Amino acid sequence: MLEAEQLTFAQPGQPLSYVYDLQVAPGEIVVVTGISGAGKSTLLDLIAGFLSPTAGALSLNGDDLLVLPPEKRPVSILFQQDNLFEHLSVAKNLALALPANDRQAKEKIANALDEVGLADYGPRRAHDISGGQKQRVALARTLLRQKPVLLLDEPFASLDDETAREMRALVRCLTDANQWHTLIVSHAKEDVRQLADRLYNLFEGRLNPEVL
Amino acid sequence: MNKAAPFFRTFDFPRRVIGLAIAAGITALMLMIFLAVSRADIPLSSSSLQPDIPHLVRMSLIQAALTTALSLGVGIALAWALNRLRFFGRQLVVSLFATAIVAPAIVVALGVIALWGRAGWINGLLSAFSLDWNGSIFGLHGILLAHTILNGAFAAHILLARLETIPARKLKTAQSLALSPLRRFMVLDWPAISSSLPPLGAIIFLLAFTSFPIVLILGGGPANQTLEVAIYSYVRLSFDLRAALNLALVQLVLCLLIVLPALLMTPSLADAGTSRHLHWPDNKNARILQWLILLLALVGFGLPLLAVLVNGLGPGLFGVLVQPRFWQAALTSLSIGTASAILTLALALGLATARNSFASPLARTALALPAFAYLVIPALVLSLGFFLAVRKLQIPPADAAPFVLILANALLALPFAISVLAPALTAIDRRYRRTARSLALGGFTRWRLVEWPLMGRAVGIALAFGFCFSLGDLGVIALFGTSEFSTLPWLMFRALGAYRTNDAAAIASVLLLLTLVAFWALPPLMKKLSHARS
Repeated sequence: MLEAEQLTFAQPGQPLSYVYDLQVAPGEIVVVTGISGAGKSTLLDLIAGFLSPTAGALSLNGDDLLVLPPEKRPVSILFQQDNLFEHLSVAKNLALALPANDRQAKEKIANALDEVGLADYGPRRAHDISGGQKQRVALARTLLRQKPVLLLDEPFASLDDETAREMRALVRCLTDANQWHTLIVSHAKEDVRQLADRLYNLFEGRLNPEVL
Repeated sequence: MNKAAPFFRTFDFPRRVIGLAIAAGITALMLMIFLAVSRADIPLSSSSLQPDIPHLVRMSLIQAALTTALSLGVGIALAWALNRLRFFGRQLVVSLFATAIVAPAIVVALGVIALWGRAGWINGLLSAFSLDWNGSIFGLHGILLAHTILNGAFAAHILLARLETIPARKLKTAQSLALSPLRRFMVLDWPAISSSLPPLGAIIFLLAFTSFPIVLILGGGPANQTLEVAIYSYVRLSFDLRAALNLALVQLVLCLLIVLPALLMTPSLADAGTSRHLHWPDNKNARILQWLILLLALVGFGLPLLAVLVNGLGPGLFGVLVQPRFWQAALTSLSIGTASAILTLALALGLATARNSFASPLARTALALPAFAYLVIPALVLSLGFFLAVRKLQIPPADAAPFVLILANALLALPFAISVLAPALTAIDRRYRRTARSLALGGFTRWRLVEWPLMGRAVGIALAFGFCFSLGDLGVIALFGTSEFSTLPWLMFRALGAYRTNDAAAIASVLLLLTLVAFWALPPLMKKLSHARS
């Protein structure tokens, strides 16, 4: 279970502080909504370790995550864009998730690409594939990393309706299969409708549970 | 929208007219200089010693190529270290390296001598331990050292700006992938800086190829002479204008060949270190290496400048301050520097705003080209052209000198000023063009209400370039300077030539202080002024 307890973030000189209480179970998808500037991305940055909280606790299955730097946290994060390094091939982007000397890298990459429906895309440059395909490649990379927490920051916002629907189905499928703890922040009602097992609305720095 | 609009009825018509007039004016001036140089009515060479052109070309190319390679290497390493390290006073260190672009080359040359010369700090330190360094700082290695100090810091400043524009999302992705320092450099840093290296290399090559004071002072004799220094020697020492002219033509052709491929790729000189982004330190081993690089760079770049200040602000300073000719030269330098800065800004703004108003790449290129004239016509050739032109027009050089200096120095600073102003203007244009147009905010009103309040700092940097380049100029004054008409660099150079090293050190320290104050004070001052008015 991923748990945030009174996880607090306050910026000096700003009156509003964010205090997050949240639980995400294995295989569960939690969606957080809220207006722009409500602090949704701040929540993800705190969990991923890019920001340090001023108080509170964050744990996964009882293990304290706050003591770990971002690169050591059991977390994969996907943004709306810029998830891939566009000058590299798809395969090389995936290889970044593996140790440099992994002898089975080719096979693992091929399997991961196969799983997201992009079996032949390894040699193509990330720059040359579509937005939806880029998100699939990024998801394939999270598969290789074997990290149990998946954070998604408005992941489908730049995709067309059809591609976004396919991507949601893929996230659902991968979360179930890998028992990921998936947390999505989003504006989109479709994300809530199609994906959310649990829903929170972020308002005035607090997470409020909503009925689905 | 822009493409379809008839030229005379467009929203930006006044800006276009002003920009095109400036471009035409500069082009005409350059043609005049070129004609003055290529068709000068000068008798056949009078001096017994003819220039060895192949040797001069070879020497110029070798030192420029080595300078470029060394400077890029130093620049990449230093930018990498500065990008990763966080420490108290980091911004000050970044600003210190940024001054490389405006630090007067003659001052840096003197700093290198003060540090590495026979009576320099290093030798003093070695003799304290009963050691002696018998080498000389004069020669190719001295030239390379001074050039690398200046251009390496300049390159680091540009490349650091590139590294700091890497999107935070990419950094977060890479950090969550736990990339090693080497992988991080190859995946994130190299793509961010690699596209800047060819134009940056071309600019450094040209700066070194046309370098004058450093080669003149540290060259150590004819063996290391370059075209630029040879031109000076034939005009001022041998009074052989024909030989100087032949060299100037060779110089012009070579510069043209070098500059053409790089002409439209000038790197932006927008100030670095201002964008807020994620800080992700590398591992311990990499950090040790980064601290080592930073320390070496600080010693390499900072110590010569410190030596200039320490030596110059000593007892010799008073002796200089009581000389009327010092105050006369200082007044001339400050007046010409101020006028050059204002002219640089006016020309750069005129060209950059007009360039933004055109959608056609051809029109934009046509407006950009004249700004880079200096890169084809180096300071000394420009100065020689003016010298021949005023001679032909029968104007006494002493009467023309102040105007020539103002104009020539403004042209020298123009490409640098444009590379600061153009990106800022383009960003504002992209963001507010439609709104400004719907509100019918054109011409000066748009400048006053929209552009000026948002680009006070960029205006300050452009002014600082104009002022500092003019203040440190030795190339143009070298042909126009006399004992009556003198600037601070000219006075310093004459003091060096007369072995009055204390006087030279004192003037160098004043020059350096004036440059640092202008470079550090003008951008925030202009920013404050622009905000006060908005």
